Amino acid sequence: MRTLADRLQTVRRPAVAPAHPLADRGERLARWFGARLSQAERGAVVVERSLQLPSDAASALAGHANACYFDTETTGLSTGAGTVIFLAGVGFVSGDTFVARQYLLPDYPHEPALLRGVAAELRRLPRLVTYNGRGFDIPLLSARLTMNGLFSEMATLPVEHDDLLPAARRLWRRPLGGARLAMVETGVLGVRRTSDCPGAEVPDRYFSYLRTGSPDALVEVLDHNLQDIASLALLDAELVRLRGGAWRSAPLLDRRGMAIDLLRHGATQDALELLEGAALTCSEPGEAVVLRRLASRLLVGAGNVERAEQLWRSLTTRASLDAASAWLEIARLRERHRSDLGGALDATRAASRVLDLTFALGRGGGMLALGKLRLQVDARERRLRRWVASAERRAARRAA
Amino acid sequence: MLLDRPGSAADAIDALLADPALDELVAAHRVLDPLPPRYAAWPSGLDRRLVDALRQRSVDALYVHQAAAFEKARGGHNLVVVTPTASGKTLCYNLPVLDAVARDPSARALYLFPTKALAADQLAELRSLADAAELELKTSTYDGDTPANVRSVVRSAGQVVITNPDMLHAAILPHHTKWFKLFENLRFVVIDELHTYRGLFGSHVANLVRRLRRICRHYGSDPVFICASATIANPRQLAEGLIGAPATLIDDNGAPRGRKHVLIVNPPVVNAELGLRGSALLTGQRLAQRLIRDGVQTILFARSRTSVEVLTTYLREALPAPPGHPSTIHGYRGGYLPNERREIERGLRDGRVRGVVATNALELGIDIGGLDAAISIGYPGTIASTWQQMGRSGRRNGTSLSVLVASSAPIDQFLAAHPDYFFGRSPEHGLINPDNLHLLLDHLKASAFELPVPADERFGLDETATLLDILTEDGFLRPAEGRHYWSHDNFPASSFSLRSAAQENVVIIDTSGTRHRVIGEVDLFAAPLLVHEQAIYIHEGAQFHVDRLDWDERKAYVSPVDVDYYTDADLGVTLKVLDVFDEADAGGRAHGEVMVAWHATLFKKIKFHTHENVGWGPINLPEQQMHTTGAWLVPPDTAVARFDRETLDGALIGLARLARNTAPLLLMCDSRDLGVQAQVQAPFTGRPTLYLYDAVPGGVGLAERLFASSVDLVHACLDAVRDCGCVDGCPSCVGPVVEVGPRGKAACKELLAAMA
Repeated sequence: MRTLADRLQTVRRPAVAPAHPLADRGERLARWFGARLSQAERGAVVVERSLQLPSDAASALAGHANACYFDTETTGLSTGAGTVIFLAGVGFVSGDTFVARQYLLPDYPHEPALLRGVAAELRRLPRLVTYNGRGFDIPLLSARLTMNGLFSEMATLPVEHDDLLPAARRLWRRPLGGARLAMVETGVLGVRRTSDCPGAEVPDRYFSYLRTGSPDALVEVLDHNLQDIASLALLDAELVRLRGGAWRSAPLLDRRGMAIDLLRHGATQDALELLEGAALTCSEPGEAVVLRRLASRLLVGAGNVERAEQLWRSLTTRASLDAASAWLEIARLRERHRSDLGGALDATRAASRVLDLTFALGRGGGMLALGKLRLQVDARERRLRRWVASAERRAARRAA
Repeated sequence: MLLDRPGSAADAIDALLADPALDELVAAHRVLDPLPPRYAAWPSGLDRRLVDALRQRSVDALYVHQAAAFEKARGGHNLVVVTPTASGKTLCYNLPVLDAVARDPSARALYLFPTKALAADQLAELRSLADAAELELKTSTYDGDTPANVRSVVRSAGQVVITNPDMLHAAILPHHTKWFKLFENLRFVVIDELHTYRGLFGSHVANLVRRLRRICRHYGSDPVFICASATIANPRQLAEGLIGAPATLIDDNGAPRGRKHVLIVNPPVVNAELGLRGSALLTGQRLAQRLIRDGVQTILFARSRTSVEVLTTYLREALPAPPGHPSTIHGYRGGYLPNERREIERGLRDGRVRGVVATNALELGIDIGGLDAAISIGYPGTIASTWQQMGRSGRRNGTSLSVLVASSAPIDQFLAAHPDYFFGRSPEHGLINPDNLHLLLDHLKASAFELPVPADERFGLDETATLLDILTEDGFLRPAEGRHYWSHDNFPASSFSLRSAAQENVVIIDTSGTRHRVIGEVDLFAAPLLVHEQAIYIHEGAQFHVDRLDWDERKAYVSPVDVDYYTDADLGVTLKVLDVFDEADAGGRAHGEVMVAWHATLFKKIKFHTHENVGWGPINLPEQQMHTTGAWLVPPDTAVARFDRETLDGALIGLARLARNTAPLLLMCDSRDLGVQAQVQAPFTGRPTLYLYDAVPGGVGLAERLFASSVDLVHACLDAVRDCGCVDGCPSCVGPVVEVGPRGKAACKELLAAMA
């Protein structure tokens, strides 16, 4: 009879080199980093570091002393129960220095200490700032607290949570071709990392530390994490600066995204200014219409229908699909906001002419887009003609 | 409109049975006598609101099995309920669950159904009972169709969560922290359609339950398991295997039954020389047509989606609805929209729909009430699912009819010739092997991801510590302070599926368009046969030429072609016995661990229609191996000595074919789950040997079961060959004479007789 171990030999599929169980290394790890332990028994290593802020960054961050910048490094990318936070960095601004405290996990049994330490850091300041924290870091932190039965710690996490990822996406995804923090760093914040560890390697660095006990591989991970939270603070400051008016001189910005961001922060006047300017200088087909549509909506809301029409007129100088769309929008404005059916009909006819011309010149782009617009134009034209005719009949009856 | 006069359907059935034209076709006719209902008093503990709600629905008392299930479940006993279709099985679990929620709104229950359609059906049923009882029940299905915004509500507030094993495996257990409200308060786990959890799938689900139990322990709950099953031979054994704990069997059915006629019908012989019979499809259609015409509400079961559509069309043509009225005949199969299905189900219950043609989508517990007649076209593969289909007909009072129309498949013809195999034997065993090492390791990984594993914990085997060491050595786990922590960056639950054993598939990529397009997958075991280089791969009727097979990347690159041939690969299979677990008859029958290796070496190009061989080529692929469990039979030397080598060759080919056809009958398995090989001079036994093995790595227990019932297998094979009308062999028994040789059939019969 073959033994279980024999049979197992035939079914196993090894993954990586063998592991060696090691004793608790909290103290050794702390000594190595010149750091302290969060508690004597099974503590987390707390590495504290300060960065001198450049003067412009310091002044930009002056109003951000109530914010806690937070980022984690984990053993995997899922938020399932087997993914562990092995490094959690919190950072805050104190005068002209940026202070970071990084909680590092010496081994799995130390997790409760790390979690308690991090939760205490997070509740010290009212505003939590993350990058994709809503989708990843905070759900994972809750999962870890639940796993370890630390429900009371979870209840005290800060309520005000600013995830900067959505804003960064709006502002830079299109010009940068993506919105990962590293891209925003180099493209916008002008940060250059000297040494770094690619995100994909992070879990393996930690597993390698666990196996060998050697913290060497972790140094770059800690640097990486520190740079992430420092960049987070710079990004926070940059967003404030842009919203405060610096958008006017920003070299690289998705203007539509910036306008939406301004609207979300209640800066309607700025948003309108930005959109009008962008609409007049935009040469990208389609986008010119989208920008005008946003601006037009704001103008109409402010009661300035005339200016909205002018904005659309500026798009009708050259026969194109966009010009036809612009005439259609003008017809809509005249009909809805001016009750000018005749004028609306004129604009619709203009749309129809432009569409014919566009087709004849072969400028239409796809037949589908052309056909869709043709249907809209024709439907509106038929309806307006009917309404205008019946209005004329009524007028004639009254006159008689 | 047709009137549903009481008695009219019964009269029509009696008239049909008295028709001499039917007589010639009937291979067997049995009558099941009516049974009166047996009621029990309302259980004293049952919440008043539920009693009132049931009374409103004119349920004035519970059947004995329903009351017993309630009492047992309330008392904290795991149980398995086995009663026929339409006997009110659902109440057996809905009552204890609703009663618990009525008493304590924080109580939670988890329902597992094998398919999403069943889950949706049960949700409606549960809601309507809760509404009638004026209970505020928060319940929802949780599966791939659940919208994201509903999901978070279900996780925190759902009192009864209705889902399927795949979802529990990949979405719920690995994310249990988001479900802690459910797991903290879990009182009941309901596993309906227990009989579907057999074989490989069942073995996976048993491991899933082990993981579920660990999570429950972590959050401090200890749920009661309520299982419900269609009739199988070993419900208690299967339930206990699945839930890993003792269970009480409740099979004393209190629901009434009317008189029921059960027929096996064999289409008429149309060509006596070739032994050809008429079409089962058309025979079934003619029967259904007459029944529906005479006012008998009828369901037909067909094997494929195409035959469902064909039959529906024929029946609608033969029985047109009056102008301006919708047809009263419908198809019902996967691919219909949910609301179309619901509408047909309602129509069946209220009698508006008079005929329905279905695939086995309707075989599982979807509620359509009882019909007058059920016709199965072709044997559905197991005795249990045949009875499930037959159970679709049956009025509480009045006569009903169930018909199995035999197709030309060997197994169908075997049943038509030997109806006692169908009527006489108990239905099949549901077998699982939760301790299959492949499965155990995969689930142990998934489980460690969910919660660290203490070194002394037992997961399936006593030797769990050995498994943990291996996973540690292989870099998946890290031991620290007496516990093993998941220490790897992948998500183990996504690396295997509950419904297959092969971890990997070969992806088939069409390179002809501007963009590469994935058109399908084949599992790794079948890949050397189907997608070797230069193979013609046929997908939805279109031909593709395999230009390149990247074996290491598991990718086959194909482009569409139009050629007049197909390819057929020669597969060399070798089987080696590694270990004998048990033997009997001095080595005449045994079972144990075997290694099956197969190697595709060359392929032939075969012309369509003429089947000429128009070319060949080599296949250069590595040999594949599988460790699994097998059973083997050795005919006695005295019988073997009577034949020359050539005759023996033919006899063994015949023996293998007979076994392949009859063994699935005994084992309640799909014929693809079982491999068969005959060796004239087997290296292990040194004698002619017939091997049957589990076609899944590690096996699911079929071989052990075959060893235990090998005498039955020999008898069944002997019956099949003895009673077949052919002279020297035909596809229904040992195979055509060109394969088995002129004396093959006779020799095969003698070998079997000697083994019996």
